[in-house]
Amino acid sequence: MRIRCPYCGERGLEEFTYRGDATVTRPETLDQTAEAAWVDYVYLRDNPAGPHREHWYHGAGCHAWLVVTRDVRTHEILGVELAGGPA
Amino acid sequence: MTIGTPTDQPSRLAFGGLIDRRLPLRFRFDDLELTGYAGDTLASALIANDVKLVGRSFKYHRPRGILTAGSEEPNALVELRAGPRREPNTRATTIELYDGLAADSQNRWPSLRHDLLAVNQLAAPFLGAGFYYKTFMWPAAFWEKVYEPAIRRAAGLGRAATAADPDPYEKAFAFCDVLVIGGGPAGLAAALAAGRAGARVILCDEDFLAGGRLNAERRGVGDKPAYAWAAEAVAELAAMPDVTLMPRTTVYGVYDGGTYAAIERVGDHLPVPAPHTPRQRNWKIVAKRTVLAAGAIERPIVFGGNDRPGVMLAGAVRTYLNRFAAAPGRRAVVFANNDEAAATTADLAAAGVVVAAVVDTRRDVPAATREAAKAAGALLVAEGRIVEAKGGRRGVRSALIRNRDGRDMHLACDLIAVSGGWSPTIQLTSHLGAKPMWDEARAAQLPGALPPGMAVAGAAAGDFGLGSCLAEGHAAGADAAEALGHDRSSGAAPVADDEPAGLAPYWHVKDSAGKAFVDFQNDVSVSDVALAVRDGFRIAEHLKRYTTLGMATDQGKTGNTAGMAVLAEATARPVAEVGMTTFRPPYVPVAIGAFAGHHRGKAFRPTRLAPSHAWAAERGAVFVETGNWLRAQWYPEAGETDWLESVTREVKGTRERVGVCDVSTLGKIDVQGPDAGTFLDRVYANTFSTLPVGKARYGLMLREDGFVLDDGTTARLGEEHYFMTTTTANAVKVMQHLEYCHQVIWPDLDVQMVSVTEQWAQYAIAGPKARAVVAALLDPSQDVSNEAFPYLAAGPVTVCGGVAGRLYRLSFSGELAYEIGVPARYGDALIRAIMTAGAPHGIVPYGTEALGVMRIEKGHPAGNELNGQTTAHDLGFGKLLSKKKDFIGRFMAARPALTDPGRTTLVGVKPVEPGARLRGGAHFVPRDATVSSENDQGYLTSVAFSPELGHWIGLGFLANGPERYGEVIRAADPLRSADVMVEVCAPCFIDPEGARLRV
Amino acid sequence: MSETLTARPALAGIALPGRHGTGNGAPGVTLRERTDLGVVAVMARKGQGEALRMAVASAYRATLPDTARYLAGQTVGFVGTGPGQWLAVSASLGGGALAVDLTAKLAGLASVSDQGDGRAVIRIAGPRARDVLAKGLPIDLHPSVFAPGSAATSIISLMGVTLWQVDETPAYDLVVFRSLAVSFWSWLTDSAAEYGYEVVPATN
Repeated sequence: MRIRCPYCGERGLEEFTYRGDATVTRPETLDQTAEAAWVDYVYLRDNPAGPHREHWYHGAGCHAWLVVTRDVRTHEILGVELAGGPA
Repeated sequence: MTIGTPTDQPSRLAFGGLIDRRLPLRFRFDDLELTGYAGDTLASALIANDVKLVGRSFKYHRPRGILTAGSEEPNALVELRAGPRREPNTRATTIELYDGLAADSQNRWPSLRHDLLAVNQLAAPFLGAGFYYKTFMWPAAFWEKVYEPAIRRAAGLGRAATAADPDPYEKAFAFCDVLVIGGGPAGLAAALAAGRAGARVILCDEDFLAGGRLNAERRGVGDKPAYAWAAEAVAELAAMPDVTLMPRTTVYGVYDGGTYAAIERVGDHLPVPAPHTPRQRNWKIVAKRTVLAAGAIERPIVFGGNDRPGVMLAGAVRTYLNRFAAAPGRRAVVFANNDEAAATTADLAAAGVVVAAVVDTRRDVPAATREAAKAAGALLVAEGRIVEAKGGRRGVRSALIRNRDGRDMHLACDLIAVSGGWSPTIQLTSHLGAKPMWDEARAAQLPGALPPGMAVAGAAAGDFGLGSCLAEGHAAGADAAEALGHDRSSGAAPVADDEPAGLAPYWHVKDSAGKAFVDFQNDVSVSDVALAVRDGFRIAEHLKRYTTLGMATDQGKTGNTAGMAVLAEATARPVAEVGMTTFRPPYVPVAIGAFAGHHRGKAFRPTRLAPSHAWAAERGAVFVETGNWLRAQWYPEAGETDWLESVTREVKGTRERVGVCDVSTLGKIDVQGPDAGTFLDRVYANTFSTLPVGKARYGLMLREDGFVLDDGTTARLGEEHYFMTTTTANAVKVMQHLEYCHQVIWPDLDVQMVSVTEQWAQYAIAGPKARAVVAALLDPSQDVSNEAFPYLAAGPVTVCGGVAGRLYRLSFSGELAYEIGVPARYGDALIRAIMTAGAPHGIVPYGTEALGVMRIEKGHPAGNELNGQTTAHDLGFGKLLSKKKDFIGRFMAARPALTDPGRTTLVGVKPVEPGARLRGGAHFVPRDATVSSENDQGYLTSVAFSPELGHWIGLGFLANGPERYGEVIRAADPLRSADVMVEVCAPCFIDPEGARLRV
Repeated sequence: MSETLTARPALAGIALPGRHGTGNGAPGVTLRERTDLGVVAVMARKGQGEALRMAVASAYRATLPDTARYLAGQTVGFVGTGPGQWLAVSASLGGGALAVDLTAKLAGLASVSDQGDGRAVIRIAGPRARDVLAKGLPIDLHPSVFAPGSAATSIISLMGVTLWQVDETPAYDLVVFRSLAVSFWSWLTDSAAEYGYEVVPATN
């Protein structure tokens, strides 16, 4: 698989580390009522058959965390952006 | 008769072929000393020497000969070379002959001609499909002791070398606009078109001579002989600067993103690879566009005795005649369901081989075949079939032919040239998961959905005619280049006629006499397929697993299609409905060494060397791998015989005087920026924004699920500058985690971080005399007194005459201790300076073992305790969890199950019997309880012999640990039959108040 | 006690000057450790990108590249290594001098962290340099896509590397972690041996 890093250009899989679902958001509250949200954030993941937004780390390149939109059925990469937004 | 001269190669044709008769090459096959020519393969040289029996089959040890002329060969597997270079299961059809080549037949004992294991043939009725599954199920113990060794002895393929392969292998990367796979007519035309247009082209061809069937057929391209056109095309391509020709290279795998794997046999055609060159090179090729021009593989018709030496595919017969000038027989019968019969008959006749008969399965035999048969003086049998090839181990002696009226005739022959049509070589189109499609008209699998960027041209696309191959190849090459923006002219497409390619599907002779094989290499016969159907296996994938059809090293390249067709017939369904097995990489067998490449032996993975490495090696240190680092484990001295003796001396020397240890391998991260403090507060469980400049603090990092990730000390070097350390093992993981936290969770924070692990050589100097040693190293007027530089102080210093360094008052050993850091280039000099400065104080260097002993004595958790399953509470660090701020892991760490006092918690243990030795990994059970998982209350993680206490001590996790100090429990280790009574105590064994730290 | 410490190059005792590998004519590549270079990580503070660019331009007459490129300045060159991240490289400001200089001149605009000791820099030059690097570097170095000034951070034989093309010889500077220099050298010389290589004495 090849991922087009917005900074480094197209690179092979050996430079990247997969993390997982990029659609989850860290809850902002520590209130006990937020327990379900925390469990959701830490543990629960959707497994869509199709395009999936996921975090990849370009550890062997520019050290950027990327949001890669990948069709998990075909491995087609539909989009790549810097997770932290433009530098 | 043109066969028979020169006399030493009795079946070599007198002229013709793309071999160099001026370059004779000597070779050995078993006990035969033979001669071939440059340009031969081992197979063609054996044929030229009339050697027909080349191997024994896998299961029944039936005699086998050469079936094909390519990498699809199922039969002619040999052990190539000898000694440590011996390579089993090598296809004689792909081995390029070299002077001195030595090959041995395999799977026979004691010799190929007298194979005693051929008695398996007598047992054939019992060795059918599913035999192993049905027979060896019971009793279970018999499998390991009886069945398996017996089968191993009898079956199996060649023998692997017993010594390490002495030859190097390499990996390499290549990039191109257009990758052309296959150097036959379509591939050459594609490469020419793309190359002329200006594209960067890589052409991979399995063969050592590009041209494919252009070199095997008596055809023409334009006004030239086909082989001459191929040579000219290669010359034109070689002259293009952006075209790379890769002969002897098989593309064996297709991966996502236009990535292809290819194996280049750099030195396999030499007895020993040239100096400094690898035997094989494993390529990863990234291509924007690909033209698959891999051609097609001829398939046999299945009939009785069809595996005998002398039964050969018709296309291979023509290859041996035309390319190698070697006659595979003297008297042939041609058997086909298609128009290949005509050219085969004509080529045999032209070479002087008698064609006894042409057997065509079709009712209407086309004129070309009739004329060829007539010209060759051959009997033409229309709508006929061969029901049995008869003969012995030397091969075919006659063919039993049945005509449409059911009348039999016996014809003497030593060669049966058979063609059941061609199967496009589409394996690579399916590696990404696409299913091929069955094409009824061509009776073949054609490519289904193609990998992105791939086009298929010529025979691989099912268009077998030479003219079509050239035209499609040219178009595919030109299209690929144009799509990539190359606009130079691709020139004119090469032109040739299409030969007739009529075919009527005919898969197997139903009234065959004797065993009729579908898969030669795994000895799968028609009756095995029929048995599988009776046993209920009705689809291709199940048939494969039950019968092993297509599971041999040839992956059923010649046999699979016929196998599926036989299955379809047996289940009265169209072939399209039984499905096809899945093609997976690698397309051809690839040596394990090629996957390892450079990474073998000491280069298995990179080794990181600490700044003191050269010095430690000079001292004779024993090294240990921790992660990729090589660290000094201990420093043996003369007379010491046991590691414990050395380690004990190092611990005592440190605790009594002073010791030094290289701690450069700890992960070090520079964290800077206005929000650095805020950021650290969020990634550490405890608080760092309040840490004064010039101070260091222990920090605990959690994962978001509340378990401990890592620990270390972090010093504040300036208002906006922190220096973090991590454990050696987790350095990379922590850096990744911090970057995730910053970039993904808190991108608004103005914080910057970079690893400085490698920048600093850092030494721990510990022991009562540490201050004197440090003072001697620092430049004058730097005060390291306890008042000026107390415990946990940190700051810049200059060392040994102006070198800018850093000093930290940190202690892992529990002694008065400092860590001193200098830029890594001075690391070697500094350790020598420390030893000199420490000599008057009796300084001792200590390694990771002594470090471990002292931290266990102090109850500091390390990797064994920070094992991913422990919480801050488990480690006794519950108090560190800040209540005033959010941090990674805070919410989940507060879950009741993670703070349950009944959880196993860090404790110390000491043996009740002072001389008893403790073993890490032992499980804790109550004193009088039986050792069972129900009674399991925790486990021992770290043990050490404490020189100061004079007995073994341990750290571990115990349920309700802190409430049980003084209790005696069992540390049970059934695996090593060790069962020790231990007393539970606090995890810190020495100086629990920490008085020594603060002097 | 107070005596000057002697610096030890990362490849001391490992990179032995002389002609090695195949043949004894002109080598396919020459290899040289570049010692005493200043190598410093420069990381832009949030929102200071433009100001940083201007400060670098005025202090060093250098342009900060937006992408993975090496742009030489008067005494200091800058290599893009990531978004808002560069390695500053200088032959004249060796030791810790470059970091000190950058820290002073870019205060408030960038975080500066000395990497000069953490890295080993090796220059490979010669007609077969691309072939040697192709045995480990998963990056296309064809002149149409990677020319003098092009830079990349990637991985060779499981070891991280930052490299840039110096000239059209072609010559490349390879920056690897110091602790891995010996392993990297082992890969490099194994890969270069096929074409013959010459090790020339270390200089900056």
